[in-house]
Amino acid sequence: MKKSYAIKRVLYSVFVFVIVMALNFFIPRIGVADPAERYYPPQGNMTDAQYEIIKQLTREQYGFDVSTPQQFLNYVGGLFQGDLGTSFRSGSPGVMELIVDRLPWTLVLSVSTMLLGLIFGIMIGVIAAMKRGRWQDTTLLNASTIMIALPGFFIALLLSFFLGFELEIFPAYTDPNMVSDFGWNMTAILRVIENAALPVLSMMVGSIVGYAQGTRNAVIAVTNEDFILTAKAKGLRNTTIRYKHTLRNAMLPIVTSIGMSISGLIGGQVVIEQIFNWNGMGTLFLEANNMNDYPLMMGIMLLLSGFTILAILITDLIYVLLDPRVTVGDRR
Amino acid sequence: MKAVLKSIGRFFLKRFKGIRRFIKRVWAHRQGKIGLTMVTFLVIVAVFAPWIAPFDPYDVAERTTKGLPPSTTHLLGTTINTGQDIFSMLVYGTRVSLIVGVSSGVLIAIVGSVLGVMAGYIGGAVDSFIMRLVDVLLVIPTLPLVIVLTNVLGRDFWIIILIFVAIGWTGLSRTIRSLVLVLKNSNYVKAAELSGASRFHIMIRHILPGTSHLLIMSTALSSAGIMVAEAGLSFLGLGDPTAISWGKMLADAQSGGALLFGAWWWIIAPGIGIFMAVFAFMRIGIVVEEILNPRMKQSSGVYKIFKNLNSSYVEDVFNSMDEHAQIGEASSAKGGAHG
Repeated sequence: MKKSYAIKRVLYSVFVFVIVMALNFFIPRIGVADPAERYYPPQGNMTDAQYEIIKQLTREQYGFDVSTPQQFLNYVGGLFQGDLGTSFRSGSPGVMELIVDRLPWTLVLSVSTMLLGLIFGIMIGVIAAMKRGRWQDTTLLNASTIMIALPGFFIALLLSFFLGFELEIFPAYTDPNMVSDFGWNMTAILRVIENAALPVLSMMVGSIVGYAQGTRNAVIAVTNEDFILTAKAKGLRNTTIRYKHTLRNAMLPIVTSIGMSISGLIGGQVVIEQIFNWNGMGTLFLEANNMNDYPLMMGIMLLLSGFTILAILITDLIYVLLDPRVTVGDRR
Repeated sequence: MKAVLKSIGRFFLKRFKGIRRFIKRVWAHRQGKIGLTMVTFLVIVAVFAPWIAPFDPYDVAERTTKGLPPSTTHLLGTTINTGQDIFSMLVYGTRVSLIVGVSSGVLIAIVGSVLGVMAGYIGGAVDSFIMRLVDVLLVIPTLPLVIVLTNVLGRDFWIIILIFVAIGWTGLSRTIRSLVLVLKNSNYVKAAELSGASRFHIMIRHILPGTSHLLIMSTALSSAGIMVAEAGLSFLGLGDPTAISWGKMLADAQSGGALLFGAWWWIIAPGIGIFMAVFAFMRIGIVVEEILNPRMKQSSGVYKIFKNLNSSYVEDVFNSMDEHAQIGEASSAKGGAHG
């Protein structure tokens, strides 16, 4: 039962990925007859004959000189070999190499934001649920009411202004040496932590409040369940009930929410990386957008979507493993 | 065709009465009062912007008023590089935020409800097609997708709204679908089916009314979400380049050296604008959610819808389907009795 569900779920994820892949292939082709026009828009001072030659060169360089279905097959074939296409930048670097260069830097931010957000969020949420209605709880409620309405990039600007420029506690712009001089030694790692402090902090604030609120609601929902009453009636100690009965069951909705929040985290990080000039995929994406570098943009999109699909798949499977009550099949 | 238009018209006319009654219910909550008052205030500011703003915000001519801190002439100070009056810019920025946010919110409610009702009621291939589409849109990170689409389709005001709608309908349609699946099996829908009503008639007259409260909630919450998304887009310099918007003000502040020269007023002002607008719409959304589902005093669902427009809020907002089925059935039954 469980195994067949897992296989089905994996196949479905592959299906979604194929559709995303197709979208990735077709979006740059919306509204133009010849993809070469999109990749190389006509310049003002160019005669038609010159433009025709340039288009021909573009077609050859980026493989547009074959029919569209053949292009799609080439694209898919390339993907299987880990080839995301050729970037538009000078020197025509492969999209994959550009991304792989930036990926670790993005992961540093998102993974630490996520872990710290989860740890603090769950801690605060549990405290609020235990002290329901007291100041701890109302503070969380008020904080989340305010935090919900503050966009992450505004928080980032404020932090960058006060902690970065005014108090000069953390660097407001990422030190370029962080990337160029990186090595596995103490000074380099400390420099990364120092530079990552503000971006992580500004993304973390929102996610802490979100996870805390979610945890609080989940814990309270579980506290109202009959089996907690039973446990109390059996005379179990409060701490046993708290950690073995309540918390374990309350973790389930939080686990699923992690998968979903990844997509939002990635989206928001684009802006944060831009503010702090962080050398990650977000800034790479914006650079690509400014240069109309479609292969690079679509490559990043595909990779991010792939990550999200994977994260949702993993959390879904973990959910089934954790909760034996889930009747597999009706979740879709 | 005429009959179709007529029935749609009658539907909205009747809903209008319902909406007035509903606004009264929202007003009865303290939070709702705050939200409604703030929204009314923002609408007034947006409409009467030319009369409220003391200076012309578009005037970037060389001025002697560069980088002034807040004073009685310049309530929120001036910008460092062009000397524009920030208060006037803030007032005009209300227009962009409100128009983009609310019109996207309304369009999302329409598209989401139509697709959700179709998926739930017709079922079969239509259902699987719509739901697969939702799943695909859900995994593509929202902001990058919006950026790619604006790059391909253009950065006009209306194109941006349409892009937000094309991406933002997914969560609502999922929620509506699961509600419709319950409504579909209720007795009055069965009765309508047995008496030979057409599918279209049932969807418009019997199913859709049952989801109307949900639509108000969704409009409020997605408006708030879109306002943040629009601000983010403008902040990256990818919004409509001709309009003054709060996001663009923040972008100008960052590139114009507000951080470096300590011009805190230039950063705080647009932030407060965004906060107020988003806060107001969120309040309304939360109150409507409380009316729908009194048991959940604080909801994690709201947070999620807001943080990520695409996230599936079915599970969270509708933790207990049967509870909602009762509410849905009660309100639809009322709608049915009227009609």
